Amino acid sequence: MSSTAITEPSGPRPKHLTVGRIGLYAFLVIAALFFLIPLYVMIVTSLKPMDEIRLGNLFALPMAPSLDAWFKAWSSACTGLNCNGIHVGMLNSIKILVPSVILSISVGAVTGYALSFWRPKGANILFGVLLLGAFIPYQVFLYPLVRMLSMVSLYNSIPGVVFVHAIFGLPLMTLLFRNFYAGIPIDLFKAARVDGGGFWAIFLQLMLPLSTPIIVVAAILQITGIWNDFLFGLIFAGRENFPMTVQLNNVVNSSFGEKEYNVNMAATILTAIVPLVVYFVSGRWFVRGIAAGAVKG
Amino acid sequence: MKPRFLRFWMAQLALAPAWLIVIFAYIGTIIWTIQISFTNSKVFPVSNYVGFTQYSRLFASERWIISVQNLAIFGVLFIAGCLVLGFLLAVFLDQKIRAESVFRTIFLYPYALSFIVTGLVWQWTLNPTLGVQQTMRNWGWESFTFDWLSRGDRAIYVIALAGMWQASGLVMAILLAGLRGVDGELWKAAKVDGIPTWRVYVHIVIPILAPMFATATVLLATAVVKVYDLVVALTNGGPGISTEVPAKFVIEYLFQRQNLGLATAASTVMLITVLCVLAPWLYVQYFRTPRSAS
Amino acid sequence: MKHISRKLLGAAAVLSLLAGPVAAAEKAEVLHWWTSGGESAAVAVFADQFNAAGGEWVDAAIAGGEAARAAGINRIVGGNPPTAMQFNTGKQFEDLVAQGLLSNLDTVAAADGWDKFLSPVLIKAVSRDGHFYAVPVNIHSNNWLWYNTALLEANGITPPTTWDELFAAMDKLKAAGVIPMAQSGDAWTQVLLFNDVLLGVGGRDLFLKVFQDGDVDAIKSADFLKVAQTFGKLREYGDAGQQGRQWNQATGLVVTGKAGFNFMGDWAKGEVLAAGLTPGKEVGCTPGLGHQVYWIGGDVFVFPKTDNADAQKAQALLAHTMLTPETQVAFNAKKGSVPVRGDVDTSKLDACAQAGLKLLATPDASVPGSDFLQTPDVLGSLQDVIGQFWTTPSQTPEELQTKIADIFAAAK
Repeated sequence: MSSTAITEPSGPRPKHLTVGRIGLYAFLVIAALFFLIPLYVMIVTSLKPMDEIRLGNLFALPMAPSLDAWFKAWSSACTGLNCNGIHVGMLNSIKILVPSVILSISVGAVTGYALSFWRPKGANILFGVLLLGAFIPYQVFLYPLVRMLSMVSLYNSIPGVVFVHAIFGLPLMTLLFRNFYAGIPIDLFKAARVDGGGFWAIFLQLMLPLSTPIIVVAAILQITGIWNDFLFGLIFAGRENFPMTVQLNNVVNSSFGEKEYNVNMAATILTAIVPLVVYFVSGRWFVRGIAAGAVKG
Repeated sequence: MKPRFLRFWMAQLALAPAWLIVIFAYIGTIIWTIQISFTNSKVFPVSNYVGFTQYSRLFASERWIISVQNLAIFGVLFIAGCLVLGFLLAVFLDQKIRAESVFRTIFLYPYALSFIVTGLVWQWTLNPTLGVQQTMRNWGWESFTFDWLSRGDRAIYVIALAGMWQASGLVMAILLAGLRGVDGELWKAAKVDGIPTWRVYVHIVIPILAPMFATATVLLATAVVKVYDLVVALTNGGPGISTEVPAKFVIEYLFQRQNLGLATAASTVMLITVLCVLAPWLYVQYFRTPRSAS
Repeated sequence: MKHISRKLLGAAAVLSLLAGPVAAAEKAEVLHWWTSGGESAAVAVFADQFNAAGGEWVDAAIAGGEAARAAGINRIVGGNPPTAMQFNTGKQFEDLVAQGLLSNLDTVAAADGWDKFLSPVLIKAVSRDGHFYAVPVNIHSNNWLWYNTALLEANGITPPTTWDELFAAMDKLKAAGVIPMAQSGDAWTQVLLFNDVLLGVGGRDLFLKVFQDGDVDAIKSADFLKVAQTFGKLREYGDAGQQGRQWNQATGLVVTGKAGFNFMGDWAKGEVLAAGLTPGKEVGCTPGLGHQVYWIGGDVFVFPKTDNADAQKAQALLAHTMLTPETQVAFNAKKGSVPVRGDVDTSKLDACAQAGLKLLATPDASVPGSDFLQTPDVLGSLQDVIGQFWTTPSQTPEELQTKIADIFAAAK
């Protein structure tokens, strides 16, 4: 697949401004509105004071916009007796995110590479179980995993939660890399073997440099997935290490008193900012990488 | 020639982490789960075996039956909806339009949001007394009614809609990537022959994109089986128990209702269903045709 | 592995000794789900009193009872339990006791004389086989009817004392174009409403026959059918915005005069007070419509077993502090509940609390909450059936009766 084919639209040539063209743009604009409405609601509500929200007009622009709710969500919203907002969780989330992403992608890449080119005995069984593993609800694993991690003293720690993310990231990561490597001509690999390349030499010197597009896709999927995780953070990270999503849940689900929609919305957007930035910055790369990784289904 | 196993000992070593994870985290927990499902464990696992009691209770439970039905409705609508919408978006984006990257980003951004956030936002937007319905009435359309979220027979469709909102962009990205790989000569040839554009898409492009559709379907299907957060944030299973799903059944009996036996029986049934549905398909997809040496 | 971690722990202990003597504050990590404004104020009373008594309160709040209980149980399983952990009064912690995972509190209970100031219902709820395993901290009552006094007056309605009067009043409100009954969409509030009807229409004996004895014949009786019919009739008086509405938003509708009535527990007072109004005045209260019965519910703290001597000391101190008269009065005033001690000054509590206390003191006018009497499993099935009935107008009271009978028959 050549790179020009990826960046250039290849549909039928435009016929300049025809009825069809106008219909095309109309469809895209309406679709864009559908996708943007929730974001609009979140932003507008987060800028309104509570008096305005009580009026009940969800879509109206704020009459007196203020950033108070944002400051409150960031630094002073309360959970129990701790009134530090959700900023504490941001650092925790990063501490969990970085090693989890690196670990799960490394293991996934090596596994995909070994499965695709070397195919040692039992490779098919391993891959089959991994694939099925991707479809099992996480809830099934929680209880025994708590037991296992506490046996090796990793329960309630950042290494513990990183380990759990690596476990559950493995099926998808392996699938991505295996498919990507399946698109690389096997002759390339055979030639490297003839030249005396060993397992790691071929991986590090030949395959890894070729893998940039799929690494980008894997990174994007893992960053958003791990950042948005709530369940594992709550159960495995321990109180000092709660990620941002757990704190968001604490802020949003306070069960007594008036619901502060503006603070909730601001906290929600703040929590989503990291994956959103990743998407806005890397959207183009994502499409390219997917093109390279999804070739073989 | 050394035996295959020895020849590839480094490859085996490299696969050791994956093997360990598969053996302990996957197979180990699955065996444990199946074993517990035959006991009457409450909060903690005990080995007091009661045969198939938990299973007969499970299938007598109206809530479980509704959960399974909902999963089927949600799964079909969500996957079909995402594929259709994602395909349309990809095709329309592929027409050399202006501001393509802006549109692409707009369609893709919901995938960066968690299901919890998606659920909350749509709950606010579609609440009959707060969101769209109230706004329309405020604007003077007094009889406007969109109360699906509070109707037991319709709420599951709202959940599918919210899911489509979140995941269609991903399908679009995958299919757009596929469309960019379609040979430009194809369009020239089709034009020369005077074949209408829509027929080219239906008869030639869609078959070419089949592998991409398969990838997208796999990704969407994993989300379907695991759907939990979205339901909790959007309806919490209500009104009544009309939007319950199996994963929620499992976690609720696991912790809140303190019946480990029933929870593990439910997960075992889920697991077996997944195996029956997926195993043949996965086999065809990934194992039947050996890797081509081209 | 275990030995290695033991050794590491030992090394850490030696290191901490080398680091010099530390202030002997007894650290207690307390896991609870009281995360809102009013609840936080109440929990701060515990923290302050505990710190003043020489302890060090480490707050571990997790929003949502389910999430908090799941996290706590997982930590106990994982061998890293919190010092203390919250449950609702009742059977939720029964399995923990059976597995021998909770500290026995008999020493503290004997020293402080729990049997002298706790009611028999509470003693039964926090002990198993004659041993204490939990500290009760408050008494909540679920079955209150709240109403907007001004709205009722404007429509010429006197506060109802019977169910027939309530329906007549709600018909008037419906005709006047206001929401007759504010109801939340959360399933537990629908169950609460059902229990209110069971107590108010069916009476104390029927309630006990159902929940205490699991008497299937009582459920199949005509009296129970009347309960189901009354509950079914109430479906016609809610509005379309129930789904997604939380209990406090429902109470808020009554507080602001948008709705006439709301069935809710005594914690609804917090909403009234937050709006700057007085419970019993602008917003009236009736403790149980029809048969006046006090439903006893509340919260307890349990103390997971530990080998750590410091943690054991902290547990004993915390158990003692939570039940001193000063702590009880200050905590419950903030929480909207009633102190568990029968020997503290309650004269400063508001009119609604006084009415409740009077009932509580009347013999045979109170029942233990359903959490005391049935497992979470049975109550969960009940919740499914009731929630489904409430949101499906086509379902008949007879169907509800049969389904509830099936649940209790299966639980036998």
